[in-house]
Amino acid sequence: MNALRLEAAVVQAGLRRLLGPLDITVPPGEVVSILGPSGAGKSSLLAWLCGALPPGLSAMGRVFLGERELTTLPPERRGLGILFQDDLLFPHLDVAGNLAFGLAAAVRGRAARRAAIAAALDSVGLPGIEARDPATLSGGERARVALLRVLLSAPGALLLDEPFGRLDPATRVAVRTLTFRLARERGLPTLLVTHDADDVAAAAGPVLRIGAGGS
Amino acid sequence: MRNAGVIVLLAVALLPVAAGLAGLAGVDGNALREVLVAPGVRGALAISVTSGILATLVAVVLAHLLVAAAAGAGWLARLRAGMLPLLALPHLALGIGLVLVLAPSGLLLRLLSPWATGFTQPPGWVTVQDPAGLSLVAGLAIKETAFLVLALLAALAQVPAAGLLRSAQALGYPPRHAWLVAVAPLLARQTRLPVAAVLTYGVTNVDLALALGPRTPPPFAVLVWQWFTSGDLAARELALAGTLVLFAVTLAVLAAGAAFYRAASHAWRAWAATGQRSHLSGLALATPVAALLALLGFAAVAALLLRAVTGPAPFPAVVAPRIGMAVDPALLAAPLATTLALALATAGVALMLTLWAAEALAARSSARAQVAALLFVPLLLPQLAFLFGWQVLLARLRIDGLFVAVLWSHLVFALPYVWGVLAEARGGLDPRLPLVARTLGAGRGTAWWRVTAPLLLRSTLVAGALAMAVSAAVYLPTLFAGAGRVATLATEAAAAIASGNLQEAAAHAALQVVVPLTAFTAAAVASRCVFRDRRGVPG
Repeated sequence: MNALRLEAAVVQAGLRRLLGPLDITVPPGEVVSILGPSGAGKSSLLAWLCGALPPGLSAMGRVFLGERELTTLPPERRGLGILFQDDLLFPHLDVAGNLAFGLAAAVRGRAARRAAIAAALDSVGLPGIEARDPATLSGGERARVALLRVLLSAPGALLLDEPFGRLDPATRVAVRTLTFRLARERGLPTLLVTHDADDVAAAAGPVLRIGAGGS
Repeated sequence: MRNAGVIVLLAVALLPVAAGLAGLAGVDGNALREVLVAPGVRGALAISVTSGILATLVAVVLAHLLVAAAAGAGWLARLRAGMLPLLALPHLALGIGLVLVLAPSGLLLRLLSPWATGFTQPPGWVTVQDPAGLSLVAGLAIKETAFLVLALLAALAQVPAAGLLRSAQALGYPPRHAWLVAVAPLLARQTRLPVAAVLTYGVTNVDLALALGPRTPPPFAVLVWQWFTSGDLAARELALAGTLVLFAVTLAVLAAGAAFYRAASHAWRAWAATGQRSHLSGLALATPVAALLALLGFAAVAALLLRAVTGPAPFPAVVAPRIGMAVDPALLAAPLATTLALALATAGVALMLTLWAAEALAARSSARAQVAALLFVPLLLPQLAFLFGWQVLLARLRIDGLFVAVLWSHLVFALPYVWGVLAEARGGLDPRLPLVARTLGAGRGTAWWRVTAPLLLRSTLVAGALAMAVSAAVYLPTLFAGAGRVATLATEAAAAIASGNLQEAAAHAALQVVVPLTAFTAAAVASRCVFRDRRGVPG
């Protein structure tokens, strides 16, 4: 695994600077947190990292994964997995369909892919839910499936956009612990943005504090 | 280029209008003078303006009161379901059906005769085609109330109605009054364009006026249509000048409507400021009145189908003694095939253009609203005013009378509806869903096919059914772009009713009703079947 590196990253709305310039290096297996109030441009920063800045916003700076520069690549070629506050499971696919969508094409053959999905579900304590409609799962179950989906796509780094914000307190701790544990086990450089100090404490990594509307 | 889809969409929708209006510049001054002094023109204009304005007032009032009643009693979904078939019902077919119901020899009096009325012969009353245009107003009111109810329901989704209603009720206003002072003004503001379209259509339509309008003089649009279809070159000059008059009169009526709207909003605010709280019980009458109109609409469809399969019966029998198609089915086959082909092609092209353009504007709701307003322009203008000039352009391009020209003309009228449903559905889709698909490694195209498209499937089905309904219904665009050579159910039904052949008109109109109803039923069934065990898929 390689480090995720941001160089002089700036996010602007028109001519107004929302955030930056930021220089951040996220080493493999570490979680770097950006802590700031909502509206500070944190989500926009992650959207820019994904290569999908919303209209009306612009950004400057460069992004690297190891030596590979991502700045101008389309989202599908960056290898950055992202989790949002909402799980964003595809509502028209069952659980297995969602995971198969994520699962890297390198896993070939119907049986091998099915086995990979079953093993993944098993590993987070959700065996046998392949055929379930995502809408019928609990919030914690959906969050776990979303986490598995992004991990199965074998990303080079993980971006977390307040991914625990919608969960009830007990589930929140469990999902947060699971997310950080799996990210560390895989050696993924992980960038977390949040306004919640508990998330930052649980991440147990470097913290960058930003204010509203500029750093 | 990112906005190429939007440009193509707008070009398809607005080129005909621009070319058509440019054609008005070629109006001959002498012909214009001749139109203004032609016999019956004043009476014709008076009928057009009064019936259009009266029908619009009735439809606006009924639609608002219906939505208020339905919102108060929790039957908005049922109201929507009841209005959809009326929206899909072609104007022309409704007009012919109403003649079959309301004429002195019609279904209504047959059902009551002779046991209640004593009639053994149809009475010599004037019911449909009455000189004051009241039956025309009734026909327009049926269609336009349905159209405005659906427009109001769409607007309702964009205003915080529930909260406003609750706070007004908390201030002591009874539900109906609360709705009228707190919610209705916002809805009225949001639905100014649809109301303007209703006004234009009321003043300028030919479809309904052919069946229900008075004959001597006919409404002005029908007079122009008669000049146009007379085949006489001098009369065509007159017709072109007539469309200019119609255009000017429509603009004047729209301006008057805008002034009336401002005055009414002012009066409304003054009323709300008086602080009176009233149950306004008299307004509850709107629901039975609207129900009666809807019933009349459904009776018209029943009469059409009955007449189509049984033929004429001696008064006062309701059903002819011998059941069997009274019109040679071979006569219907070709127009039916053309109508279906046009409907399917219109739906296919309209859906593709809309999906393409909506993709570029997925994250820009104000741009989507601007496109919606531009696509609405053809509905705000008299069809006659631009179809004439556009036909000249089509003839120069040597495509008049071809399938593709008629298809284009249908697209002009289908796109505003398709855009309204499908572009909004695209805008309502969480942009992070396709983004997640891409961060998982799917290219732009794959993400669209595997995530965006399936989630839009239900809206696509509804929008496609709407496009088919519009295509099956439109008469004047088919007549003009087809140069009279493309025969659809609409053109055949119009020709038959204009020549007084009620039997042939009914047979064509009955099939004309079947096309949109089949499309809507198929769309409803299909959208219930797809993703039936996926609760999270948008409806």
